[in-house]
Amino acid sequence: MRREPSLFSRLVVRVALVLCGGATLLAVAAWYYARAAADDAYDRLLLGAAIQITANMTVDHGNLAVALPTSAFELLGLAARDRIFYRVIGPDLKTLTGYEDLQTDLDLTSARSAPVFLSARYRDVPVRVVVAARALSDPSFSGWSYVVLAQTTEARRALAGELTSRAMILVGIMSVLALAGTVLAIRYSLLPVSALGAALRARDPQDLTPVDVDVPRELRPFMASINHFMGRLDERVTLLQRFIADAAHQIRTPLTALSAQVDMLEEDEMDEVGKRHLGRVRKRVGQLARLTNQLLSHAMVIHRSDSVRFKPVDLSDIARKAFRAAVPITVDPDIVISFEAPPGPIVVLGDAVSLREAIANIIDNSLRHGTVSHLAVRVVGGDGRARVEVEDDGPGIPRSEWESVTARFVTSKTGEGSMGLGFAIAAEVASAHRGAIGFQEKGEHGFTVIFDLPAQVEGAR
Amino acid sequence: MKCGTLATLTAAIVLSVATSAMAVEGARAFFPAVEQERGRLVVHGATDVEAMEPLIRDFQSTATDVAIDYTDYVTNDLYRDADAACRKQENFGDILLSSSVDQLVKLANDGCALAHSSAETEDLPDWANWREEVYGFTFEPSVMVYHKDFVPPEDVPHSHGELTDLLRFKPDYYRGRIGTYDLRQSGIGYLLAFLDAQQASTTYGRLLESLSRVEAVLRCCNNAVLSEIDSGNVFIGYNILGSYAYAAALRNPKLRIVLPRDYTLILSRGVLIPKGATRPDLAGRFLDYLLSDRGQEVARRKAFFFSRTGPLPDNVDGPPKLIESGIGRPIRIGPALLAAQDQLQRSTFIDDWTRLLRGSAGGKTP
Repeated sequence: MRREPSLFSRLVVRVALVLCGGATLLAVAAWYYARAAADDAYDRLLLGAAIQITANMTVDHGNLAVALPTSAFELLGLAARDRIFYRVIGPDLKTLTGYEDLQTDLDLTSARSAPVFLSARYRDVPVRVVVAARALSDPSFSGWSYVVLAQTTEARRALAGELTSRAMILVGIMSVLALAGTVLAIRYSLLPVSALGAALRARDPQDLTPVDVDVPRELRPFMASINHFMGRLDERVTLLQRFIADAAHQIRTPLTALSAQVDMLEEDEMDEVGKRHLGRVRKRVGQLARLTNQLLSHAMVIHRSDSVRFKPVDLSDIARKAFRAAVPITVDPDIVISFEAPPGPIVVLGDAVSLREAIANIIDNSLRHGTVSHLAVRVVGGDGRARVEVEDDGPGIPRSEWESVTARFVTSKTGEGSMGLGFAIAAEVASAHRGAIGFQEKGEHGFTVIFDLPAQVEGAR
Repeated sequence: MKCGTLATLTAAIVLSVATSAMAVEGARAFFPAVEQERGRLVVHGATDVEAMEPLIRDFQSTATDVAIDYTDYVTNDLYRDADAACRKQENFGDILLSSSVDQLVKLANDGCALAHSSAETEDLPDWANWREEVYGFTFEPSVMVYHKDFVPPEDVPHSHGELTDLLRFKPDYYRGRIGTYDLRQSGIGYLLAFLDAQQASTTYGRLLESLSRVEAVLRCCNNAVLSEIDSGNVFIGYNILGSYAYAAALRNPKLRIVLPRDYTLILSRGVLIPKGATRPDLAGRFLDYLLSDRGQEVARRKAFFFSRTGPLPDNVDGPPKLIESGIGRPIRIGPALLAAQDQLQRSTFIDDWTRLLRGSAGGKTP
């Protein structure tokens, strides 16, 4: 699959292309204007020299005489490297002096009204030519005589080259500045995209409420789509939860009846095989009852997190109630069970029912899957946190599974058939209370599950 | 070894070039390589071989495998042949030396030159370099030379004006005793006269008139005028190149040199590598040598005696700092010299000059 280029590189590449095109166009224009300017400047010198020569034409004893002024050549010599060719033509159109083969195909008469400039080649080098005319009217002699003056173009090209290169340096600087500006502008413009991405990434996985980030107008349709999708997803999830709760509720009544029926079965009349089967049925029914209860509890927790307003409650008190509820009277007497709480209340802002349910589930989980001979529940406060720690001497949960056990229907011991919702409920409640579930590996103490909440700050209410 | 080389040289300086009718200028000399010859540089120069010899010998001591074939021309012949060779795209020497720089500028303008630049050419002043094609490698003031025995101290002219006045006040004494170039034969003579006319046209007109009145002796070349002074036939030589004059003064202490104090034209002998050169690399090396400090020093001591940077040589009457004082006017090697090279200009100028001097010039031209 071809990787889609980033918005940034798309924009930069296109802007750079436009700038390159523009720079090329400007270069051509600069070169063209520089040439015109150089030609204009040096044409004046050329014309000045030609005029000096025509001015020095005299009629002497009926003959045209021209004394080439040194100053004319000095004038042309201002273009220090350029070679000079000239031809002085008399009224009989014969070359009087100079280079006889210089521009012989000219229509000289066109120069009578105004000097004529043209570019040509002479002796295999490009030259700029001016033709100037002068009318001589002497009693003994009259007619038009002409000067054809040509100069090589080295100084012109050098000047044009210099002007062009300077213009190019400016164009180059401007292009680089424009590109740098564009890069900065694009980076700045794309900031809201990454901000939106960051906001989405920072969201709680359970949070399906509409995203509320201030984005530029261009991103609003995109965000509206996201929110629309979130809304639909939220609806689906709610529906699903309601369905599960309904189903669990519906199942509970026949399940209670089934449990009663099973209890009424006469065990004495059964053979060994029958008894074994009955034992299994009882166990499965118990599991089913527990699962149904958990599903209901889960549904309740979710419902309450959406609808119940939090109040300051004493976490020690709740933990103690949960401890009592979770540890059955029928618990194996060999197991050492302890509960520790500080003397004063540990106040958190929350829903007592949900919190109790969550703590009870953690203790229950520990009893069922962890505890071998020791279970300790501690309530700890301090540093603005309130924690319930549940420690057991079981094998614990491997670090690699910590992430997944808080998801629904996962237990650390897969395949044992006990699809636990315990950690999922606890995690749900913790996040609803802006807290989290943590684990502490088996070390000096046993494996510990930590239910961590922010404590109610004194005097905040 | 040294004797052998000298013998070869003496044997070599014998051939007179057929195209040149001049007896004094127009010799061919061959300088064999000091060691095994690996390259031969053909030099065509409008410069006396005696003046060039120290430079050529010193160059060969730095480039021991180069033989040099030197042919001496009169400036006009050199230009004519080089121009013809350029038009026909033929070879005409590897490097051209000429005191008539305007002709070299014309050759370069006509596209007959190869550009050459190096560290040595960088340091030259602007007026001694055009297009990196024509370089001036000497510094030669145009001077007046007089014979001490025939010109009393009060007569010694120190400027163009003083010379004019002298000839006006004592025309009979100096009749036929003033020598100068014949413009019709010498390119450098024409160039100096043309620039004289440009520098100070009135003074020049009056000077020409005076020269005409005293029936000036016209000679093709510097050395011809100098030998006339040497022999006492001519008392004062006008527009003589300082280098030749100083060499003559060294031979004959009675010859004295004056640099005019109103203005002194300074010629920088030109050097150019023609387009048809077969060994432009050797030509470039020789050119670099001529412009190098070492070459300039040899030229100052043995060949041309004046230098751009050093003081005036001994026994020369002139302003100590030529350039700084503004009296020395270097002839700028550049397109302005094309005006001097215009054929119409040239023929008109020479015709006017000849017409003015005809009375005296007619019988005395060789």
